[in-house]
Amino acid sequence: MPSLREVQHAIRRSLVEREDGAIMPYMVADGLACEQRLAIYRNTFDCNLANVLRLSYPAVNRLVGSEFFDGAAEIFVHERPPRAAYLDEYGADFAEFLAAFPPAASLPYLADVAQLEWAVNRALHAPDAVPLDAQQLAGLDSVDHDSVRFVVHPSITLLSGNYPVDAIWRAVLAQDDEALAAIDLAAAPVWLLVQRRASGVEVTRIDDAAWHFSHALFAGQPLAAALPDVSATRAATVLADHIASGRFVGYTIEKPNIDTLPSEIAA
Amino acid sequence: MLGSLPTAPALSRVQCGPIPAAAGIGLRFPHHQLVAETRPLVAWFEVHTENYMGGGKPAAYLDAIRCDYPVSLHGVGLSLGSAEGLDDAHLERIRLVVQRFEPGLVSEHLAWNVVDGTYLADLLPLPMTEEALDVVCRNVDSTQTHLKRKILVENPSSYLRFQHSSIPEWEFLAAVAARTGCGILCDVNNIYVSACNHDWDASAYLDALPIEAIGEIHLAGHAERRVDGERVLRIDDHGSRVAPEVWKLYAEALQRFGAVPTLIEWDTDIPAFDVLQDEAAQAQSHLERFQAGEAHAIAA
Repeated sequence: MPSLREVQHAIRRSLVEREDGAIMPYMVADGLACEQRLAIYRNTFDCNLANVLRLSYPAVNRLVGSEFFDGAAEIFVHERPPRAAYLDEYGADFAEFLAAFPPAASLPYLADVAQLEWAVNRALHAPDAVPLDAQQLAGLDSVDHDSVRFVVHPSITLLSGNYPVDAIWRAVLAQDDEALAAIDLAAAPVWLLVQRRASGVEVTRIDDAAWHFSHALFAGQPLAAALPDVSATRAATVLADHIASGRFVGYTIEKPNIDTLPSEIAA
Repeated sequence: MLGSLPTAPALSRVQCGPIPAAAGIGLRFPHHQLVAETRPLVAWFEVHTENYMGGGKPAAYLDAIRCDYPVSLHGVGLSLGSAEGLDDAHLERIRLVVQRFEPGLVSEHLAWNVVDGTYLADLLPLPMTEEALDVVCRNVDSTQTHLKRKILVENPSSYLRFQHSSIPEWEFLAAVAARTGCGILCDVNNIYVSACNHDWDASAYLDALPIEAIGEIHLAGHAERRVDGERVLRIDDHGSRVAPEVWKLYAEALQRFGAVPTLIEWDTDIPAFDVLQDEAAQAQSHLERFQAGEAHAIAA
């Protein structure tokens, strides 16, 4: 008699690796071939996960067509099945998969569009967090300004790409063929900020300098360390915009090293 | 005389809180906005736990809906039948959803979908063995301990059986309830589907379940698929109205279990909301007919 673990391994092999041999000896055929019974479960597994990916990547689905999408999704799902039952987090590496997927090579911007869609998906599902209030910063001692580290809102992603992926994404989702035809693929690189706000997810173009400064800030670097990328006046404007737009949820102050902690107080 | 009983509306709004012994509706994303904005007459709503693990719009809608309706949480991903034990991270996510929405009921399935840390995105059948029974009981215990509350466990629909199964599914489910103190979510459509697929006696299945453990009933539509030219398999696709045979079995279930919170589920080709309300009204009239009959019997 097989152990439960053996049965579960064997079913995994049938669903993910498409090898029915290990599970068939343990099944009751009962008037219907075991392969047919397993096919029902495999079909549900494939369809459920392809639909999860389609919901997260609607523009990719439109760009390649649902037949191509299903084919790509099937290979992806079998190569990289989900690691957790929280499926909002499934498919983060679909862009990486598409970038190395030879049948998709004729659409060089496809992986970049997928990357943007993942950032949008992440923004949609990120945990709720209360934005930092400008009032909370008002009491900050000016000597501490340089050492402030901001905590970025969990819905935010910064993206950069060689294609105008935001324009492609919008035109594809709006099914606006005219706008799509007018896109210049050779246009300058884009620097994007993706964020969930009360009204929905926003994809905003920012400039190169603001993007790099923000990138350092969002990575948790202290203000002084992020500054070399941008002029002080520009930094002040960008920072004010971040705070007004609720892009931070908190901050910490990195104190200079205090070598002599007053240990006698503890004693 | 039945005519002398007060005529309640087919569906009535109940204050948020415990799940009433009335007909509720499985709430899915396409109807969030309609429900939040129009507050239709529905006794209660059930949602899939996994759909509210993040923030943003879904959670905000449920926060709002939660103020006016009792809500229950129905999970699909905990994998109570996994030999390797539960995914602690997933269990903790469930706890946080329970903490946020304070549901009237929390349920999961007598099934599994995680092996080697891979999630198989379906409700897979267990071999009905003593070993599997121990595993499920251990996992239900861990869940109830972590959530600090009782859960309901739902009977699955299935398309295959194992040669080494030694316990009938209804006895297995009753044993899980007896050993862990969990309740049972009796999915009448699943009993019908599995009984057809495996030549079980659906009425005998109902009769074998412990009355005091039944906390909720599910109803849904299923599909018939002809496989191999001859054989018909019933597929639990939640994609149509409840079948006449399932309504009949539901009436039997009410006779046996009494009035129990009853849910209409619809997950494939989700229809307009009024179709779901219509199905719920049918369930409600079954419940009321049963309650009227019971009152009549007591009066006589």
